[in-house]
Amino acid sequence: MCSDLRFAGGARVSDPRATAHSPDEPGGKGLWLGILAYRLVSFAWLSIQALAWRDNLRNGWLAWGAISLTGIWVVVLAAKRRWERPAARAFDLASAAALIVLSGLVVGEGQVVGSDIPFFATGYPVSAAMMIGAASGVGLGLLAGLVLSVALALSRVANGTSLVDLSPGEWLSLGNGAFYYIAAGGAVGVVSRVLGRSAAELRKANEEAARQRERVARLAEHEAMGREIHDSVLQALALVNKRGKELAARQEVQGREVGELAEMAAEQAWALRALIQSEPREAPLDMVPLRTVLQAAVYGVTGVPVTITTVGQIWFPPEGVEGLSAAVRQALENVAQHAHASRATVFAEEEDESVVVAVRDDGVGFDYDEALLRREGKMGMLKSMKGRIEELGGTVRISSAPGRGAEVEFRVPVRRRQHEH
Amino acid sequence: MNTDGGGGANAGEEPIRVMVVDDHPVWRDGIRSDLERSGIATVVAEASDGGEAIELARDSMPEVILMDLRLPTVSGVDATREIVAELPHVRVLVLSASGEEADVLEAVKVGAAGYLLKDATAEQIADAVRRVRDGEPVFTASLAALVLSEFRRIAAPEPGEPGLTARENEILRLVAKGYTYREIAEQLFISMKTVQNHVQNILAKLHLRKRYELMRYAIQRGLDRAPE
Repeated sequence: MCSDLRFAGGARVSDPRATAHSPDEPGGKGLWLGILAYRLVSFAWLSIQALAWRDNLRNGWLAWGAISLTGIWVVVLAAKRRWERPAARAFDLASAAALIVLSGLVVGEGQVVGSDIPFFATGYPVSAAMMIGAASGVGLGLLAGLVLSVALALSRVANGTSLVDLSPGEWLSLGNGAFYYIAAGGAVGVVSRVLGRSAAELRKANEEAARQRERVARLAEHEAMGREIHDSVLQALALVNKRGKELAARQEVQGREVGELAEMAAEQAWALRALIQSEPREAPLDMVPLRTVLQAAVYGVTGVPVTITTVGQIWFPPEGVEGLSAAVRQALENVAQHAHASRATVFAEEEDESVVVAVRDDGVGFDYDEALLRREGKMGMLKSMKGRIEELGGTVRISSAPGRGAEVEFRVPVRRRQHEH
Repeated sequence: MNTDGGGGANAGEEPIRVMVVDDHPVWRDGIRSDLERSGIATVVAEASDGGEAIELARDSMPEVILMDLRLPTVSGVDATREIVAELPHVRVLVLSASGEEADVLEAVKVGAAGYLLKDATAEQIADAVRRVRDGEPVFTASLAALVLSEFRRIAAPEPGEPGLTARENEILRLVAKGYTYREIAEQLFISMKTVQNHVQNILAKLHLRKRYELMRYAIQRGLDRAPE
């Protein structure tokens, strides 16, 4: 149960499931101040009662000693915010129960039940049950009330009246007292839970608002990027239109010129699609979408058509972007120059705590043999690619066989950032 | 991607009846001329939005429908759902310009037989038309990645919720990496036919998932049967 207590060191409550309630939140502050005020007032009342009936007290030294100690405790509790500690609350409950039992010893024999002399320890101990209810919820609040009720029954015994000798009226009075303790602990627990819930909702609303602001900022950035690309698309379209008309007016048309126009249109379509696919979503703070990184790495690779496939939305830490991007680019350029491939795919997925990026081609392939490659002086590119990935704490795996294309796999560990929802 | 088994000219065979659904007339013209030049297909109808597509599909009896997803009034996904439910023998091939992932996946979940980006070449499109007509899904690398993410979205499926076997997962990854069925078969030491069967099963599970989702939705809403 103690794991529900969220007050250690005055830490801000961040778990919306917590039934207990932090004194640092607006609603909670009111509740705690109220309980503290009740404690002070009831302690003062206890002292006044003791003064008024001082002539009727048995064991005066015991009464005044207990009241003094209780007074010191009240001050310590209030001044040092000791109520935030579960152990302090348990001690508080124990001392309150002791005070109740003790009261049986300090008033005249037979005077605690049904007599017209006020029973001096009734009011103050309730604050212990209230505090536990506020901190730990309804269940423990009720339990604390029960502990006090048992103490109340024991005070009769301490006063010299056996429980079996109590009259129905006296039982009723005892029952009233017990009900009062238990109800107070439980009721404060309920209030605290309600306050806790509404505070959690408020917190959620605040977080949602913050996310909303972030999203708006991202959308603005996206739009700025969009305008740039739309500009280049419009320009390309205008050019296609103009050149197309010129070509149509000519007697003879060179295939190469038409091809150039088609190429231009294709490039713009590619850029536009990349823009649409990189639509911003809920991004963890300080992370960038891997797809955008890969699109940038692929942009402008000529000689082989490249498809990018990613399994879901993958986020990547910005400090790794340069290295990964350069490695992917190198792998693709190698494919374009040497593999005679008809196409290449850049595939990305998340696996456990790593991001896996594979560059795969359907080209001529090769025997992957580091020793052989080194002898032939072909290790240079491979070494620099490996170096970049290893710098990120990652690994490179290459699999290929003659006639079977090749697959270069980068595996980079990504520490998942702690971000609360 | 996979041209094994003879595409292109299919002498003696009737051309495949194709309907093109797209709101751009220029695009429809382009597809019509590409397909008819390839000699394997003839365009029997053109529709410019989803509602029109549903009506024309009933009347003109196409075998294959090339469907854009972004359409005015009735969307491509909705039209696909209607057409597949009403005319189960008609194959819908999604041809999308932007590859908006959610839409593409949704279209495949409601019964589209495949998905190509609009920048596919004329030969790729003709080949895809032939393959879907023959009942083979057109499972591109990007679609495989989408399907993988759909199955991984829920890490721990509830009992009864269709999930992938380890082998299916492996095959999907290879398709997403751009391997052809033939290459996958070689790599895993299985036959092409087996690879195709796995892909069919994966798609069937995707459709089951859709039905499972509808059922769960219906139960949550307190209805006693899934909406049709």
